[in-house]
Amino acid sequence: MCLRAHGWTAAELDALAALPAAELVRRLAVIPSKLIEARVELRALQPIAGRFEFDGDSVCFRPRFPFVEGECYSLVADLGEQKGGAPHHGVWTIARPRSTATPSTVVEAICPSAATIPLNLLKVYVSFSAPMSEGWANRAVHVRLADDGARLADVFVATEPELWDPERRRLTLLLDPGRIKRGLVPHDEAGYPLIEGAPIIVSIDPAFRDAVGQPLRAGAERRYAVGAPVRSRVDPTDWHIARPAVGSRDPLTVEFDRPLDRALLEHCIEINDGAGVPINGRALVGAEEQCWRFEPDAPWAVGTYALVVDSRLEDLAGNSLQRVFDRDLMRPGDASITAQPAVVGFEFI
Amino acid sequence: MVAVQTGANGLAVGTPALKSVGPLTFSPDGILFVADNLGATILAIDVDEAGAAQETRPIEVDNLDTRLAAFLGCASEDVFIKDMAVHPSSGRVYLSVMRGSGAATIPLLLTLDADGILSELSLENVRFSQTAVPNAPAEDDARTDGRVVRGKREGEDKQMSSGTVLRIARDVLRTVAVTDMAYVDGVLLVAGASNEEFSSTLRRIPFPFGGEAQASSLEIFHVSHGRYETAAPIRTFLPYAGNTSVLASYTCTPVVHFSLNELGSETQLKGRTVAELGSGSTPVDIVSYTRDGEEYLLVSNTRHPLIKIACKDIAGQEPLTQPKNPVGVPREALPHEGVGRMAKLNGDYVLMMQEDATGSVSLHTYGSESL
Repeated sequence: MCLRAHGWTAAELDALAALPAAELVRRLAVIPSKLIEARVELRALQPIAGRFEFDGDSVCFRPRFPFVEGECYSLVADLGEQKGGAPHHGVWTIARPRSTATPSTVVEAICPSAATIPLNLLKVYVSFSAPMSEGWANRAVHVRLADDGARLADVFVATEPELWDPERRRLTLLLDPGRIKRGLVPHDEAGYPLIEGAPIIVSIDPAFRDAVGQPLRAGAERRYAVGAPVRSRVDPTDWHIARPAVGSRDPLTVEFDRPLDRALLEHCIEINDGAGVPINGRALVGAEEQCWRFEPDAPWAVGTYALVVDSRLEDLAGNSLQRVFDRDLMRPGDASITAQPAVVGFEFI
Repeated sequence: MVAVQTGANGLAVGTPALKSVGPLTFSPDGILFVADNLGATILAIDVDEAGAAQETRPIEVDNLDTRLAAFLGCASEDVFIKDMAVHPSSGRVYLSVMRGSGAATIPLLLTLDADGILSELSLENVRFSQTAVPNAPAEDDARTDGRVVRGKREGEDKQMSSGTVLRIARDVLRTVAVTDMAYVDGVLLVAGASNEEFSSTLRRIPFPFGGEAQASSLEIFHVSHGRYETAAPIRTFLPYAGNTSVLASYTCTPVVHFSLNELGSETQLKGRTVAELGSGSTPVDIVSYTRDGEEYLLVSNTRHPLIKIACKDIAGQEPLTQPKNPVGVPREALPHEGVGRMAKLNGDYVLMMQEDATGSVSLHTYGSESL
């Protein structure tokens, strides 16, 4: 890629080519045109990194970093002094065409998918159909009250860097933990990010850019009722396991006592056989993250099995098998436990 | 086959490929550590400033973001300054910068001299080594991130304790984003935030990388007002007092002290809250400096004034037990506006990146006697 300006005389090019490098950069520079339009003092700027070549009747600039789509670039040349001593600058400007691709990326999911979230909800996940750009999480995701549309400010904490999965398709947003945790100054000053009993709408602005710089095909939103805070450890012994018939490959269903974290549910539960070996099959997270189903590859056999639950598994408020999110030290029953997976045995007879 | 010389610090000559650039830190002998969050990698690069004259001039660069936009050939909005570090002997300023976003992003390491001249740090044939950002689950733990698969298309064989061999594929939805790093006596301390569980893990990675010593991790807690105990990801931290103490600031705003001796051996550690930022403010950076023989710390944050704390006051601070505002150690609000990243320069100065009311970022140097 190069920026080429034609129409130079052989004498001009010879003179430029003969200049020492330090002097050449004072006489020829390529600058983003926006900076020239903004009347930035050009002498205070370091021009775009790159090198000049002289070829035929043209000056060619090869930038170190590719020119950006949709940006304009100007070649500024110091052509000596005009009559009367005023400096004489030549400026040539070109525009890089903007991509004409049509927006195609959509929001695939906003989680939790539960209709009611606890007052101390900790995380929201937004999944997109294609890889996304960083830098939009703090300006393109909003929360407003469902009843009057009033914007709730400072609900999410600005994370630097933003929290994405490796493909940049799933964004994790943290509700400000300083406002959720009791006893901290932000909580005392500003209160919870949400209001119990006041339904909210989480919306994704279509301006959110995907990885190729395109906006979304459409925005997305999800409505939630806001219920009471939840502050107790997740305890798999409170779950209900519904066993299918022996000899079938029907799914085993585990009903939770509360909705759990969608992302962690994807890989925190599995079924072991009597020998402690994970059995093959397909796991599915049920509606509202309220249950989990497992379809075995081989039919269920008579014998013992175990539901094995990683102790990192959290509910919507960040309570895990190990700990309550903000533990009240006056409540001994909430004491944290060591990080061992929970094992709930069950039998097919 | 290309013969690769492996020299001091386990570094070898090559050309590392960066997917992104984030937090930076130097070891005392000038090894630059760069966190690449997109690549889930930390690089150690010998930037080879041996023999470089020490830069003693203060650095003043107005409109650094505009200068970067001009140098990188893009709009100011497309310049993302991720971190700043100062070479311990030459005093040269290093910046990690991302140009653009999405698929067109270019990660860059740049240097800035006292005249404000930017240069790209070429990664061609540099002496470097790298390590993966440790991501919690144990290698033989098929339960946490692995799933059993059939065929040989994906995954790898693992022998279970029962003797059975299973083919395990690991899902990599879970990531750890490095938020800050510091090097202390042969160990790189790495703070990070998970994109799934709300963890508070401080990772300890021995350097040179890949030695016999294994990376280990430490869970950090804090107690507010003697009543509520919580875990929280560390946003920024700084070893101080001759590397015997660490001051850390959490995403949820408490500023916490813990001893580095404890950090070496424990698996869980309770930090002592010494101050709290107010609501709506997130910590950005911590720097230390010495004035009149006393060590001080500056904590920058997004909404509140720059905070100055005397280290001797932290040592004498009782754990916070009563709600009060402002809370914690005696602290002073400094008048410097819009301070983000900071770094110590040549012992006598503190460099500050400051954003003005128009959003423009400049770099200013302050003598420690003025702070």
